[in-house]
Amino acid sequence: MNYIVGTYILYLVIAVALTVWVARTLHKNGRLFLVDAFHGNEPLADSINHLLVVGFYLINIGYVTLALKYGDKAADLQQLLEALSTKVGAVLLILGGMHFFNLYVFSKMRKRALIHSAPPPIPPQGYTAVAK
Amino acid sequence: MKTLYILYDSECEFCRRCRLWLGRQPAFLPLVFVPLQSPEAECRFPALSELHPEEEIVVIDDAGAVWRGGAAWVMCLWALQEYREWSLRLAHPALLSLARRLCEVVSANRYKISNWLRKAKSHEELKRKLALFPAQTQCAPGGHCEVR
Repeated sequence: MNYIVGTYILYLVIAVALTVWVARTLHKNGRLFLVDAFHGNEPLADSINHLLVVGFYLINIGYVTLALKYGDKAADLQQLLEALSTKVGAVLLILGGMHFFNLYVFSKMRKRALIHSAPPPIPPQGYTAVAK
Repeated sequence: MKTLYILYDSECEFCRRCRLWLGRQPAFLPLVFVPLQSPEAECRFPALSELHPEEEIVVIDDAGAVWRGGAAWVMCLWALQEYREWSLRLAHPALLSLARRLCEVVSANRYKISNWLRKAKSHEELKRKLALFPAQTQCAPGGHCEVR
């Protein structure tokens, strides 16, 4: 096993572990948002939450596997660490972008739900009698 | 708030078109359009003339709360599913004063706009043309107002 294969194995382990960690965080903490957005409809919120996490996994693991062979090829330990660092850095940035995109989707859903019960934006300017 | 009554001028083509547009939009609560020339308007709101509905659009809810002009328009948008976000934006003081002024100008010139829309040369011709298609009074949910 040379340094290149070592880079690949370490890269895969770190990147997949990071993806799983971020996805689980999203899954756990996004649920409350979604339950609120769907007016306490927990089965629907759980379903949407699950679908979002599946999409998250697909995009991130897809990127991780696609990007595996690109970058500098390591010939010694120093180059291995450098190449690994670059690759993991790219994965982290992608994960960060996806994470914020997910937050944006959550807040958008919640906002739409809140607008449903928004009170009149302007107080009445007066009152008049209404015949029954 | 269960119902919004929208009092509009049925002798104004522009107002009628606005009313038709509003009626087509999906709304959060029932909108009842009352032509202010109809006996139903006076009957449903006995003190209506104090609100001068002939000057600007008037919106009244089922509890008797009144909005006029620009504020009334914002309330109409608030009732619509697709435009509630816009109404919340428009309710900001800076935009609201702009909306108020715009409504004043449009309301003051609504017969001119209607003449142009209907290709009428005078107010009488417009009235004649509009009388061919009388505005319908609609029965409000929760019972019709008995016209005495």
